[in-house]
Amino acid sequence: MNRAMYPFYFAIAALIVYSVFFVMPGLMGIYYSFTDWNSYSNEVHYIGFDNLAKIFDGQAKYLGYIKNTLVFMVATVVLKTVLGMLFAMMLNDGIRAKGLHRVMLFMPSIIPMLVVGLIFKSILNPATGLLNESLRTVGLEFMTQKWLTDLNWAFKSIIAVDVWKGVGYIMIILLAGLQSIDKTYYEAASIDGANFWQKLLHITLPLIIPALMVTTVLNLLHGLKVFEVVYVLTNGGPGYATDVMYTAIFKEFSTGNYGMGTALSSVLFIVMTVLGYFVVRLMSREGNES
Amino acid sequence: MKKWTIVVPAALLVMASALTACGGGSGSGDNTASEGASNSSGKKNITLTYMASQGWIKDAEMELAKKFEEETGIKIDFQNVPSDQYFNVLKTKLNAGEGPDIFGGQSGYSEITMNYNVESNAVDLSDQEWVQREDPLSVEQLTANGKVYALTIWDTYSSFVVAYNKKLFSQLNLDLPKTYEEFKNAALTIQKTGVTPIYEPIADGWHHVLWFAEPGPNYEKLEPNLYDDLNQNKKKFVDSQAMLDSLTQFKEMYDLGFFGDNVLSDTGSDTVAKLGSGQFAMSLVAQSVAQEWSDQYDDYEIEDIGFFPIPLTDNQIYYINPGGPSKFIYSGSKHIEEAKQYFEFLTKQENLQYMVDNDATISNLNFPGLNNKYTAEQQKLFDSYPERGTDIQDYVNYVNPQWMDIGKDMVAMLAGVIEPIDVLKSIDERRESMAKVAQDSNWQ
Repeated sequence: MNRAMYPFYFAIAALIVYSVFFVMPGLMGIYYSFTDWNSYSNEVHYIGFDNLAKIFDGQAKYLGYIKNTLVFMVATVVLKTVLGMLFAMMLNDGIRAKGLHRVMLFMPSIIPMLVVGLIFKSILNPATGLLNESLRTVGLEFMTQKWLTDLNWAFKSIIAVDVWKGVGYIMIILLAGLQSIDKTYYEAASIDGANFWQKLLHITLPLIIPALMVTTVLNLLHGLKVFEVVYVLTNGGPGYATDVMYTAIFKEFSTGNYGMGTALSSVLFIVMTVLGYFVVRLMSREGNES
Repeated sequence: MKKWTIVVPAALLVMASALTACGGGSGSGDNTASEGASNSSGKKNITLTYMASQGWIKDAEMELAKKFEEETGIKIDFQNVPSDQYFNVLKTKLNAGEGPDIFGGQSGYSEITMNYNVESNAVDLSDQEWVQREDPLSVEQLTANGKVYALTIWDTYSSFVVAYNKKLFSQLNLDLPKTYEEFKNAALTIQKTGVTPIYEPIADGWHHVLWFAEPGPNYEKLEPNLYDDLNQNKKKFVDSQAMLDSLTQFKEMYDLGFFGDNVLSDTGSDTVAKLGSGQFAMSLVAQSVAQEWSDQYDDYEIEDIGFFPIPLTDNQIYYINPGGPSKFIYSGSKHIEEAKQYFEFLTKQENLQYMVDNDATISNLNFPGLNNKYTAEQQKLFDSYPERGTDIQDYVNYVNPQWMDIGKDMVAMLAGVIEPIDVLKSIDERRESMAKVAQDSNWQ
């Protein structure tokens, strides 16, 4: 720290802006989560932990929303990382027209989620959608599903659409990580007789940890903050089966229950902070050990 | 040291994104009304934004809006929002103080005070000339504490009824069903021929709730004084056997496959096409659908389409809903006078008649002195079901504001996640929390 080039006060202006526009609203949000603030009354009363108690007592559906959010997060982190890694390795070397392939895989990332959602809503329509029509055409009728309205499939479909859209972006980050690995390591390992798996386990993975850390944190945040894909594909349906934290927060705000909305936000904030902190710590430790 | 250089920025990143999520909330406000500069011809160069749920703004009104623009220079920018998202979007905008100049809303005292908080969000229109002409029952639905807050131009007398394919019914020797059992047997017979009995657009989120709410007068008949007891909190929804029966019968219809395989994805915009194709035999619709059905499909004449009321719980009462989708002027609008001018224009007698004459979905409007377009079948419907009653949401408080929630509960019931009684329990819970917020003395 004593080798720092600039004195501390150079950062004050930025810190003030950051505090006023990010930290303060956040702290105010936490305060309001202990109140009954709503659109029907001009008075705001302090009600202690009532909102939080309501979320966790299991009477209302909030625990289901929290569970859905966590399931979504874990599923997308795992799927995007594994598939992104797979694509990155495939497109790293030894494939024809890899530029084209990379662009094709990255393409979904630049389309807005609402557009993707609307497209998939039509693709996944059970009666007229492209997916079921294709399955029927090739004689796989038994595989057709009500992708967005069947309780067993709706949430899986949402996860699949999100992975389809997000995997290209993760792939690009991991690809950059792979390309920064010096080829001489692989040459030396080959001379020593290492096979593909040994190279993957002892060279690629340890050296790509920083990139994996970035993608994991990004996926984690994205997973917890999921909103558009659910909103546009099912709007939380059928019933409340696919509602997540942010669709619930949106509904609380739109019905004027600001207090409950901020309480849900605060819960999410705490989960994000704790999870983010531990993930970063864990991965940076592994990175240092290697 | 090295560890912290990674941990700290990453932790900050996590915190920052979580905190912005907490602090943020309002959608992007697009109050696109441009400043009101008059040009040389005396016309104003103003755009009014008018947001409503899909299906509320009729084509004929859009035509009239063009005429209005020619006359005054005031342009109306219509923003149609899909119906399953409309109330979320509207209320978010109102709560964020970024409402459109004119917004569409439903009617009923608890709806307009709880959901739109009209006393602070809408302009008082009591002094407008058209208030004197509009059907007093409609005006009452949009009145809070003696002030009128919205204009309803709606075919209020044409309630939702089951429209059925008379040709198919006579081929199968089916009589007009008068009880739920008869209705069920008719549907089973139809189903055996390969035709799906009923087209039900559940994906819209609101339509299937009609099946539960509109036989309300029959619940009241079966359980006298039910409506008042509900309003005075002497009874709860869970206490009503009739309502439970109604939901149970609706679930049975779903389980028997009367609505077909794709019902949870079906939308109202396909109703006429589905009926016209002959794939479906019936649908719960506005009566004007018969006209569209026969106009668009050569196989059907207007006489081939008959009507009967929802037969759940053996209902034979034709319900009345004096309210309907209505137009409010946002109190934060910069162009309140221009919006009032638009309402005056729409309610001119010749323009109301223009709507009746030029819109297939309108047979009559809630203003006097208009030439209606009731068909023989509609007249027959009015004559065959002389008993009348008001539907639940226009009489019982705290029902209309939770319409979409009831819709979600009913879908959860159909999917088997919850039981019919749970739907009623949820309705009671939401009513209680609304009543408490409204400081309703019956709930103290």
